[in-house]
Amino acid sequence: MAIKVLLVDDEKDYILALAKRLKVRDFLVTTVFGGDEALNALSAEPFDVIVLDVLMPGKNGIVTFDEINRRYPTIPVIMHTGHAKVGTAIQEMKKGAFDYIIKPIELDDLIEKINLAHAQRTAFNQRKKSSEKKSNFFTKWFHSKGL
Amino acid sequence: MKSTHKVDINLYFKRLRSKLTIALLTAFTLPYLGLMIFFNYQFNNFINETGKLSLIALSESQRNTIDLFLQERVINLFNLFHRADFCKEPHKNNMEVLLKNLRQVSDTFIDLGFLDSKGTQVGYAGPYPHLQNRNYSNQSWFQTITKQKQDYHITDIYLGFRNKPHFAITVKQEIDGQLYFFRTTLEPDQFYNFLRTINQEKGVESLLVNASGFYQVVGPNVGKPFDTAEYIPNKDKASDAVELKKNGDSIMIAHSWLKETQWALLVRQPYSLMYADMQKTRLVITTLLGIVLVIFAVIIWLTTSRLIDYAKNAVAKSNDMRMQLVHATKLASIGELSAGIAHEINNPLAIIVATSGVIRDMLNPEFGLSWETQDLISELDTINSAVFRAKNITSMLLDYGRKNEPNLIPGNVNSLVDGVINGLIEREFKVVDIHFIRQYDPDLPNILLDVDEMSQVILNLINNARDAIKGPGTITITTEHTAEKVKVTITDTGTGMSIDQLKKIFNPFYTTKEVGKGTGLGLGISLSIVESLGGTIDVQSMLGVGSSFIITLPIHQEN
Repeated sequence: MAIKVLLVDDEKDYILALAKRLKVRDFLVTTVFGGDEALNALSAEPFDVIVLDVLMPGKNGIVTFDEINRRYPTIPVIMHTGHAKVGTAIQEMKKGAFDYIIKPIELDDLIEKINLAHAQRTAFNQRKKSSEKKSNFFTKWFHSKGL
Repeated sequence: MKSTHKVDINLYFKRLRSKLTIALLTAFTLPYLGLMIFFNYQFNNFINETGKLSLIALSESQRNTIDLFLQERVINLFNLFHRADFCKEPHKNNMEVLLKNLRQVSDTFIDLGFLDSKGTQVGYAGPYPHLQNRNYSNQSWFQTITKQKQDYHITDIYLGFRNKPHFAITVKQEIDGQLYFFRTTLEPDQFYNFLRTINQEKGVESLLVNASGFYQVVGPNVGKPFDTAEYIPNKDKASDAVELKKNGDSIMIAHSWLKETQWALLVRQPYSLMYADMQKTRLVITTLLGIVLVIFAVIIWLTTSRLIDYAKNAVAKSNDMRMQLVHATKLASIGELSAGIAHEINNPLAIIVATSGVIRDMLNPEFGLSWETQDLISELDTINSAVFRAKNITSMLLDYGRKNEPNLIPGNVNSLVDGVINGLIEREFKVVDIHFIRQYDPDLPNILLDVDEMSQVILNLINNARDAIKGPGTITITTEHTAEKVKVTITDTGTGMSIDQLKKIFNPFYTTKEVGKGTGLGLGISLSIVESLGGTIDVQSMLGVGSSFIITLPIHQEN
């Protein structure tokens, strides 16, 4: 199944080119150009991975990340930064961002990080599902015993 | 720069050193000097008073002695009337006996005469026998003693019949209704000898003057008998002392009026002798005080020097630290600048890499993409525009760092602003519903400016104003002038800025605009242009109301 990626960046030329390259590699890509648009897109449909620019006009990446982290804590976020603000990116990782990547990027690096993020999320979701199944099983068993 | 600065500091400290030294010396030595002068003054006064009093005391005691001497002589004479061998018509031998008796008491007696009531000297003994039977009734002393109540009379010194200086004492006695007189004369030389014997003090001269101010008895150093005295004492004061200047020397003269006759006793003493010891003491004290003063001055000078040296070292140290701080600040701003450049250049680089990747994907048969030439050209255009964006940043940087001398010519700011706004910009702004309001000062004087550069400044500020205005709004341009300055204010009805933003707006690469719209260099460049003309840019802003940028330029004298 294709991974659904949300790209958030105010550099339109850049993000559109990036989107094209990810699409040909079988990712389902949605591009938005600001923090508010990103939150709108998330409320409309679920995504597997978010790539979020730190430095944006209006709602910047840090504020947007906090909002996403609060509303959709299970979606992994890769912080994407235009210049050497590694410190900011690391701070965001401490708050729960999955990883960070510095512009200009190697496409393969980004793809690797997206895949890794998706794999971890899938693993987490499966564990959650199996524990739910177990609890279902015990409930049924208790019910069958007339308890 | 550094060396001139140091020279100034040295000069400053040199001045400070002399100022401080003078101030301290004044503060410490003025009261001290004042004290010294006061002490000297008091000391002088004191020794003057003391000298005066002691001289007066001397004159009084000598006066008393002379009074006593004269009284004794008068009594000696009176006693002659009461002798057992007294007779109204004395024989010459009788007179000789009487004179001999008198001379036994005092050898100052020269001769002795006996006068009847008519003034005829009926008896005489002494060295001038021709005075026998001489009539004195015309003499003033005879007339005086006859009339006066007092029983005796002492004359001034006079030459008389014998043509030799002498003075006479006459006493009278009434016997059987008739007046009889004993008269004796005394020589002033002997009197002078007497005065010398009672003088012991160094340099002290005693002398007698009569009421008319003529010398009576005087030493040969001072004057001659019958000359007018150098000093005529005040008759109203029984005794007093004054200071006299004579041939450049000061002398102190004390007087005391005799009780027995109209003479004054003068005691004179030169200052130099009078105060010789005192002056020596004063010299020693003054010298000592002077030495202390010099020690004071040396201590003050040394202390000040050390203090100034300390201060100089401290300043040198703090200057070094300031230099280091300036250097550190420069490094920090270079760091800031590099971070800004990195960000601005990395963004177009990221676009170039990503877009070239897209083309690579198109050409990659693995993906089997179908594409038209038009698609390829579109991607290449994106790369081109990213490259020009980067180029734009570098040329802006060059502008920012450039140090070219501006081409200054006199120009009018009103027409310069019009030149920027009129035409394209005004029409372009109308489209987005932004209107210009011009409030020009019609009497604006011409000022020296570089038209291209100032136009760039105005354009920068107008563009900023436009970018700050979301939706419809106005940009007001006001010009005004004072005697020294021309002011251009550009006010927008835009979003305004917070205090945090205001602090940063002149920093390079600081921008509130969207990506690609602003480089963050415009205001920095504008400021550097305005500052190169000796002007300033001030900013007032309120969030939600708008911002005002105020350019102030000096009016140069057009030579």
